[in-house]
Amino acid sequence: MSTTGHKTWPKLTSREEFRFLADLVLKHSTGDHTLLSLHDQQSGTTRFANNQVIQNVDTRRGSLNVTVAFGRRHGTAGTTDFTAGSVQETVARAVQIAHLSPDDPEYLSPVEPRQYVTSPTTRAETVVAGPARRLEYANEAIGQCRMENLGAAGIVSSSVATVGVAASTGLFAHEERTDARFSLTVQAGEATGWGASAHRSIDHLRVQERTLTAIDKAKRGLEVRELPPGRYTVILEPAAVAGLWSSLLWMLDAKSYEKGMSAFSGKLGQPIVDKRLTLRNLPAHEDLLGIGFTTDGLPTVASDWISEGRLAQLAYDRFTAKARGIDRIPTLDAPCLSGGGSSLPTLQELIKGTERAILVTNFWYIRTVNPTDLTLTGMTRDGTFLVENGIIVSAVKNFRFHESPLRVFNRIEAFTSPTEAITSETGKLLVPAMTLRDFNFSSVTRF
Amino acid sequence: MSAPIWDELAELALKRIIASGAEYGDIRILDSRTQTIRGEDRRIASIRESQDRGFGIRVLYHGAWGFAASSVLSLEEAPRVAELAIEIAKGSASLASERVKLADEPVHRDRVVTAQRIDPFAVALERKTALLLETMEYVHRQPGIVRSSASLWARQDRKLFVSTEGSRLEFDLLALSGDFDATAVHDGRFASRSFNTPHLRMGYELIEDANFLAEAPRIASQAVEKVKAPTTEPGLYDLILDPEHLSLTMHESCGHPSELDRTLGYEANYAGTSFLTTDKRGTFRYGSPHVSLVADNCEPETLAATGYDDDGVACQKWDIVRDGIFIGYCTNREVAPKVGESRSRGSNRADSWGSVPIVRIANIGLEPGVATLDELLADVKRGIYIEGHGSYSIDQRRYNFQFGGDAFWMIENGKRTHMVRDVVYHGITPEFWSSCDGVADRSHRRRYGFITCGKGQPAQSGWMTHAASHARFRNVNVIGGQAGL
Repeated sequence: MSTTGHKTWPKLTSREEFRFLADLVLKHSTGDHTLLSLHDQQSGTTRFANNQVIQNVDTRRGSLNVTVAFGRRHGTAGTTDFTAGSVQETVARAVQIAHLSPDDPEYLSPVEPRQYVTSPTTRAETVVAGPARRLEYANEAIGQCRMENLGAAGIVSSSVATVGVAASTGLFAHEERTDARFSLTVQAGEATGWGASAHRSIDHLRVQERTLTAIDKAKRGLEVRELPPGRYTVILEPAAVAGLWSSLLWMLDAKSYEKGMSAFSGKLGQPIVDKRLTLRNLPAHEDLLGIGFTTDGLPTVASDWISEGRLAQLAYDRFTAKARGIDRIPTLDAPCLSGGGSSLPTLQELIKGTERAILVTNFWYIRTVNPTDLTLTGMTRDGTFLVENGIIVSAVKNFRFHESPLRVFNRIEAFTSPTEAITSETGKLLVPAMTLRDFNFSSVTRF
Repeated sequence: MSAPIWDELAELALKRIIASGAEYGDIRILDSRTQTIRGEDRRIASIRESQDRGFGIRVLYHGAWGFAASSVLSLEEAPRVAELAIEIAKGSASLASERVKLADEPVHRDRVVTAQRIDPFAVALERKTALLLETMEYVHRQPGIVRSSASLWARQDRKLFVSTEGSRLEFDLLALSGDFDATAVHDGRFASRSFNTPHLRMGYELIEDANFLAEAPRIASQAVEKVKAPTTEPGLYDLILDPEHLSLTMHESCGHPSELDRTLGYEANYAGTSFLTTDKRGTFRYGSPHVSLVADNCEPETLAATGYDDDGVACQKWDIVRDGIFIGYCTNREVAPKVGESRSRGSNRADSWGSVPIVRIANIGLEPGVATLDELLADVKRGIYIEGHGSYSIDQRRYNFQFGGDAFWMIENGKRTHMVRDVVYHGITPEFWSSCDGVADRSHRRRYGFITCGKGQPAQSGWMTHAASHARFRNVNVIGGQAGL
C-alpha cells in the first residue's frame, strides 16, 4: 500500500502500480533476464539571493529503466513516459540493444528475491510540504537577515520519491523516500557566513538555528586579517571534516584496490587513520539519509568500514564481490564517523580548549591532486577564523590547502561527538568537529 | 519534428498564463534521446539508451518567477502545471522587494537543426562497440597498461519553445563525443593518459575523423612514459598550454567570473560570486594585451550555438576581454538590465525540460595570435608543455586557482624534451593571464567543450565550447603534485 498521500497529481507510482509496470515489462521481455528500476519524484526548491526569491521551482519527473540480457549480452533502455505503449517500446529497445551487444564477461544476472528491513526513509510532513512551506522557511531566513541589514542567499527544498527495483528472478523492492534541505549564505559586505541542514523530515531543518549561526559568522568576518600560508593547528567544523572524508570514501573502490590503483592498496586490515576513529554505515539512523535497497536491489546493511583506525571494508561491485566470495555486499549510504574515548560535547568546547588555531567552517572545490596518497586540495569558505586562547579573535582570508586525509586524520588533538554535516559537494554524514595539528595551508586568496 | 500534441499543449498552458494576469510566460517541451556506450578493460560494460520527455513552464507574475515542470506529456497535465507555476510565481511575488524586468527581445519564429553528415543513431551498434573494443585492445598491447576505458556518447534534443510574447522556436539538435584512456602502473604509482574528442554539435563523422585506432598506441605508450617520468621540481616555469588544457583554464578563470548572475550574488550560496564586479567593466586589466577572450554563440558546431537560448534570445558574439581589458558579461533577459544593458547576450540555458534556465558561460574562446607553436617554444629556456585536463580547483570568486594536466613535457632551451609527472601550477587569475606573452596563430586553434559544468540549485549541467590556440605564460608557480605534498 502506498503511503503517498500528498496533494500532487498525477500521484507518484505506488507499490501496486510499480508491480503492474513490472508485470508489463516482464511479460514483453524475451530476455533470459530482465531488471527494471523506477525513480518517480516530485521535488521543489525555493531559491533566494539578495533577500528575495530568484527561483521557485517544482518538478515531477518519473523514469523507468529496463535492462535485458541474453546470456552475458545486455542492454538498457529508459523512458520518462509510463504509458503502456511507451513502456513496451522501451522493453523492445532494451531487447534490441542486448541482441546487438557483445558478451560482457562481468555480467551477472539480477539478484534473487531478498528480504528488506523497513527503513525510516519517508516522513509524512515532507510528503505534504509544497511551495508554501518552502516559501515560509525562505521568508524566515530572509527576515532574520533583513533585521540585521545583511544579505541572504540560499535554498529550501523538499522532495518525495517512489523508488523500485524488480526483476525476472522474482526480486521486488519498492519504497518511498523523502528529503528536505536548507542552506544559507549570509553576506555582510565582503564577509560571508554559512549554515546548512538536511533531513528526511522538513520539520527538522532547524532553519532559525542555522540562520543565526550563518549570521554570526558573517558578522564576525567584517574585520579580516591576512595570515601567511603554512602549517597550522585547525579546528574543522563538521562540514569541513565531511568534505575530507567524502573524498576518502570515494576512493574505496575494490576493483581499483586490486589493480594497485588506490591509495589504500595493500592496506585492508591495516591502520589508516587515528585508532580512535570508527566509520560505520547506519541505514536505519533517523538523522541520516539511509535507503532500504540499492539500484541492484541489494538490501542496505549496517557495517563497519573503518574500525578503530583500521580499514575494514571496501566498496564492491557485484562482480568483484562474487570473485572474492563476498555474499553480503556492504553499502555506504548512511556514514557515521565517531571517535572513541573522551570527546568534547560541543564545537565551543573545542574552541575554548585551543591556544591558537584556524577555525574552518567549510571547504570548497576539494579535488584529488595525487591519488597515490590521496593528497587533496581545496579552499576554505564562508567563515574562516583565527582562534587564540580559547576565543575567536578575527576572521582571516581564505586559504588553499594541500593535505591527505590519510595523514591529517593521524594528527588528531581533540574531537566532539558526531553531528550533522551537509555541504553542497557531499551527501549527509554524521561526523565530529575536530582539532588537527600541522594542517598544510599552501596559499592565501584575496578575500 | 515536434509531436502533434505539443502545439496544443503549449497553447493550453499559455492561455492559463495570460488569463492569470502574468506579464510573461513560456513553455519548453523537450524530447531528448541519449545513447551512451561505455567500455572498460576490454569489455563493453554498458549500452544505455534513454528517452527523456517533458515540459517546463515559466511564469513571471508581478515581477517574480514561478516554474513548474512534468514528465507527463498530456493535455490534462499542461493546465495543472501551468496553474502550479502561476501559484508559485504569486508566492515569490509576495516576498519580492525588487521586480524582475526583462530586457526586450524581438519576437522570433524559427527552426534550428544541427547539420550532420552521419546520423549517430543510425550507425549500427555493432560498429560502435567494435570500435571501442578494438581501441581498448590496442591500448592493452602496450606493456605496463593495467586498465583502459572507452566510451561514445550521443544526444538528440527535439525542443519547442513558445512564449506569451509570440516567439515560437523549434529545435532539432545533436551533440556527440567520444573518449578513451589508458592507465599504467609502475613502482607503486599509477598514471592515466586520455584521448578526448571535443563535444560538438555534429554527426558521427566526429568519431570517424578522430581515428581512435591510430591514436590508441600513442596514448598507451605515453601513459607508461608518464608513470615512469621524473617528478617535477617546484619553482617558477614558463608554461605552454595546449588548446584542450586551455579550455578548462578559460572555463574556470574567465567563463565563470564573467557570468553576471554570479556577480550579482545569485550563486552566492553555491557556485559562488565573482571578482569581476560591475565597477571593473571597461577598465580592469584582466590579462596582458595578448589576451582577447571572445564569446561566440554563433560558431557552427559549438555547444552553445543553438540559434536561440532558453529565453528565446538570438545567439550572439561579443567581447568578454579585449586586449587584456575586461569588457562584458554573459547575461540573460533578467540580469542584463541590471547593468544598464538593453539586450540580453542570449546565455540563458536549462539542462532539461525540468530545470529553470539560468545564466551559463558562453562559447568563450581565446583569440589566436600570430606566432607558430615552434616560435612560442623557441623562446623558452626552462618550461613545461601541458596537454589536456587534470586536477583543478578554484576559489568561489575565481581568484586563487590551481590546475594539473593530462600530460607534461619539459621544455629546455627552446625544445620539448622528455615527459615529467606531478605538475600542478597555481596562480591568481589576473596575474596569470597578465603573464601571457604569446598566443599561437589560427592554424593551431582547436575546440573543446564541457557538458558537465555544474551550477545552480538544484544543480544543473551546462554545455559550452572553448576554442584556443596554444598560449605561453611566463614565470608561473609550479607547486608540483607529488605524494606527501
